[in-house]
Amino acid sequence: MNRPTDPRTVVMNLPRRDALDKVTGRTRYTSDLGAGVLHAAILRSTVASARILRMDFSPALAMKGVRAIAQASDAPGLFGIGIADHPLLNGSRIRFKGEPLAAIAADTLEIARAAAAAVIVETEPLPAVMTMADALSPDAPIIHPDWKSYELLREGGIRGGNVAWEARVSRGDTDAAFARPDIIIIEDCFQVGRQNQLPFEPRCAVASYEDGRYHIHTSTQVPWTVRAVTAKALGVSPSRVRVTVPAVGGGFGLKFDCTIEPIAAVLAQKTGRTVSLVHSREEENLTCLCRENAEVRIRSAVTAEGEIAGREATVLMDCGAYGGEQVFLTTMTAHTLGGNYKLGSVRLNSRAVYTNTPPNGAFRACNGVYNTFFLERHTDNIARAIGMHPLELRRRAVLGDGDIGATGQVFLGDVLRPMLDRMAAFRDRTPDQRDRADGRLYGRATTVGTWFIFVGPSSATVNLNADGSATLVTSGVEIGSGTMVQALPQIVAATLGLSPDEVIVKAADTDAAGRDLGVGGGRATVSIGAASKMAAERVRDQILNIAAEMLQAQPEDLILTKGRVEIADRPGTGMAITSAIARAEALHGPVSGNGNFTAPGVAALPGCAAGHFIEAIDIPVFAVHDCEVAVDPDTGHVEVLSYKVVQDVGLALNPRAVHSQIQGGVVQGLGYALHEKISIGPDGALEQPGFEQYLVPLAGDVVPVEIDLYEGAPSIGPLGTKGAGEVPILNVGATVACAVSRAIGRDVSELPLTPPTVLALIQGRTDRMDHPHIAAEWTENLLGAEVPPRSPAKSRPTH
Amino acid sequence: MPIELTLNGEAITLDIDPRTPLLDVLRDRHGLTGAKAVCREGFCGACTVHIDGQAVPSCLRPIGLLQGCSIVTVEGLAPPGTLNRVQQAFIDHDVVQCGMCFPGMVMTLTDFLDREPTPTRDQIKAALVGNICRCTGYERIIDAVLSLQAEGVA
Repeated sequence: MNRPTDPRTVVMNLPRRDALDKVTGRTRYTSDLGAGVLHAAILRSTVASARILRMDFSPALAMKGVRAIAQASDAPGLFGIGIADHPLLNGSRIRFKGEPLAAIAADTLEIARAAAAAVIVETEPLPAVMTMADALSPDAPIIHPDWKSYELLREGGIRGGNVAWEARVSRGDTDAAFARPDIIIIEDCFQVGRQNQLPFEPRCAVASYEDGRYHIHTSTQVPWTVRAVTAKALGVSPSRVRVTVPAVGGGFGLKFDCTIEPIAAVLAQKTGRTVSLVHSREEENLTCLCRENAEVRIRSAVTAEGEIAGREATVLMDCGAYGGEQVFLTTMTAHTLGGNYKLGSVRLNSRAVYTNTPPNGAFRACNGVYNTFFLERHTDNIARAIGMHPLELRRRAVLGDGDIGATGQVFLGDVLRPMLDRMAAFRDRTPDQRDRADGRLYGRATTVGTWFIFVGPSSATVNLNADGSATLVTSGVEIGSGTMVQALPQIVAATLGLSPDEVIVKAADTDAAGRDLGVGGGRATVSIGAASKMAAERVRDQILNIAAEMLQAQPEDLILTKGRVEIADRPGTGMAITSAIARAEALHGPVSGNGNFTAPGVAALPGCAAGHFIEAIDIPVFAVHDCEVAVDPDTGHVEVLSYKVVQDVGLALNPRAVHSQIQGGVVQGLGYALHEKISIGPDGALEQPGFEQYLVPLAGDVVPVEIDLYEGAPSIGPLGTKGAGEVPILNVGATVACAVSRAIGRDVSELPLTPPTVLALIQGRTDRMDHPHIAAEWTENLLGAEVPPRSPAKSRPTH
Repeated sequence: MPIELTLNGEAITLDIDPRTPLLDVLRDRHGLTGAKAVCREGFCGACTVHIDGQAVPSCLRPIGLLQGCSIVTVEGLAPPGTLNRVQQAFIDHDVVQCGMCFPGMVMTLTDFLDREPTPTRDQIKAALVGNICRCTGYERIIDAVLSLQAEGVA
């Protein structure tokens, strides 16, 4: 029942919140839009590791047209995911070359850049570590001497020195497994470099300060994260920050974190003007929050029948100067490197390691991409060691219904094995491309991969308008994946019997829609879709109840279709939905419904996982990829001859759009596998500032991906959907690497497979990969263990 | 010396630094933001426009070199409210994802099809060496262009 509101709590002489801007001439009417935007530039460090002794802004402030400077004291505090270790603007200790120290707003971008260059920055050099091997050395300088005092945003991580976060899995007795007389041990080391997301639109934000609130217009995947981080940085209530997001020119995970938005907000507040902050291509590339470089040592105890009795691995993930996304991503090693296969026992250690290099971030399927490469190449080596065909080994070993994963979660349904069967049939009905190798070395491989849908909170409101259209209000963002323009209007339209054209989808505005975790991790169609479906169903139920009275029928006998309410099986007997809406409005007012969703939580085995953000995955997603390659033995150039994907999609709401995501994701993976190389110079800076140095696939580099959508695997997503946009990149590096390895008859242990790398392998100039800084004894890599200083890996019987 | 040129069919006169890139003139002075500033080095093609009918990246063309030229941007490619055949094919084939590269793709392929009305798949790919797309993986772009021939309208 409704509790009456006491009028005395409502009555007051509340002053107008818009008065300040109105009397200062700052209120922006439509006729004012587009005028008077200031431009901002960021002052960045020119060294990787140093103490800042003095910053003198007076030469910049003296320049005509400079309007404001934002510095560390304007956005105090530390930020992060898991650990708050990252200042927005650094005024004390520089930890990577290119680190933002201050930002300047001026009348033109040229003035802002000139002013930034005029600031005097005096520093004292500090020792730096550019590689994880150096960072883990016992005598390494500690990049965050105050690491113990940092606020923990998530409990449970194991931390220490240059190890930002350690996530461990321990299930069963691997010591016993490796001691079994009937097994052989296969041990491998692998590594990968970084990958730049390279969305065409760089990170950028336009901020204004209106009626005492910050309004940030930004290119982001996570409006609510931007809202929260900006509020924390500025020391204001989150309710003082509004984030709106127009069309986003590509994200791929790069924009899954708040980065430059609070800086623009500070400058807007200081100047009272609208401030535009847009990364140049060079600064965007050189400070890109890449997919991290990583290294692994993995070993498995396997029987001649292909039973994996035990598996141990240590993964090093370079988080760069600050923990960021990598702290969270340590979690995903359990579900990717620890995924795909039935394991009798398993111990995994995933370590995010600080270095004096630019911080890394999230990129489509994140560490799943390289963990799948590590795992699938290792699986091929196991098959070779036990003399079993690699496809047969996979068929026997993949997870099936009721099997438990690394952390003890129970997987439902046989999915990977039937997907392997589908791929076998796909291969059988498609002629191979061996002839096109034409004298070059030919190889082919099929791999499997496990990823997940990153669920979590979403909300939605559906307003049913008097004209029979519906307005969907969410915090979703259209980053190019099509969720906001295809999947969501399809779901709402189907629920309300409308055409998708009649569903208006409002772009994200944190003032209009409820909280949301963001668009990424394959979650939008699932999480926002589920909330939208619930909201639409609540609207539908209201309309059916009203219509039932009008038609003297039972609500359960009515359906909504083609803009009408009809009695089921009796088309034409009902009425236009607008008639029911009009009646509802007359009786109760306009019709709307709300929906919400969050992660249901799936159980893991207690005690298996430590330091994990997600102990079990709510919606697993599986992929089977197949690739044919031809390798030129004289140049090392790899040509992809064919590429096939069988992808677990649950239900494909828009098969054509899903195909489009798979083609695009596979091609990004081909770039990762073959030529998207990022190197780090002796100064700790990335060496690929532009498109000339960083080679993304061109039209001539790609092939049409042949696609078979696997539907019907269990999913809690609305209508049984799973996210389809993130996973296509998952096992591309793995599949190309396995195919190249088979073509050239050599172990492929690193990506990307550039021609010089492949040629060195063919010519036998590459040593077997080893990571001396990852101890062969798994326990010696744990924080708190007695770590032997940089000893070479112990020799043990391996294949 | 003032620079006189034609922009989307309209004669204009500019009295600005002749080194100003055409891209900046379009975006900052004329509000024509269809051409995107992505790499500013001529590799990505997102800022492609037509200069005297030829598709070129506008970031690499100083305005002072364009005396007397006719510039057409994606905004001026077809009469308001209409689409040219490349744009229509991209919509019909659900090609677009984030969309940032598409104005440049449209300009390059429109010029290309004028010169090469019946291209092969490989010829289309070769024509796109200067137009990068990070989202789509290209193949559907090629399919859309090839469909124009199948319809006999190329």
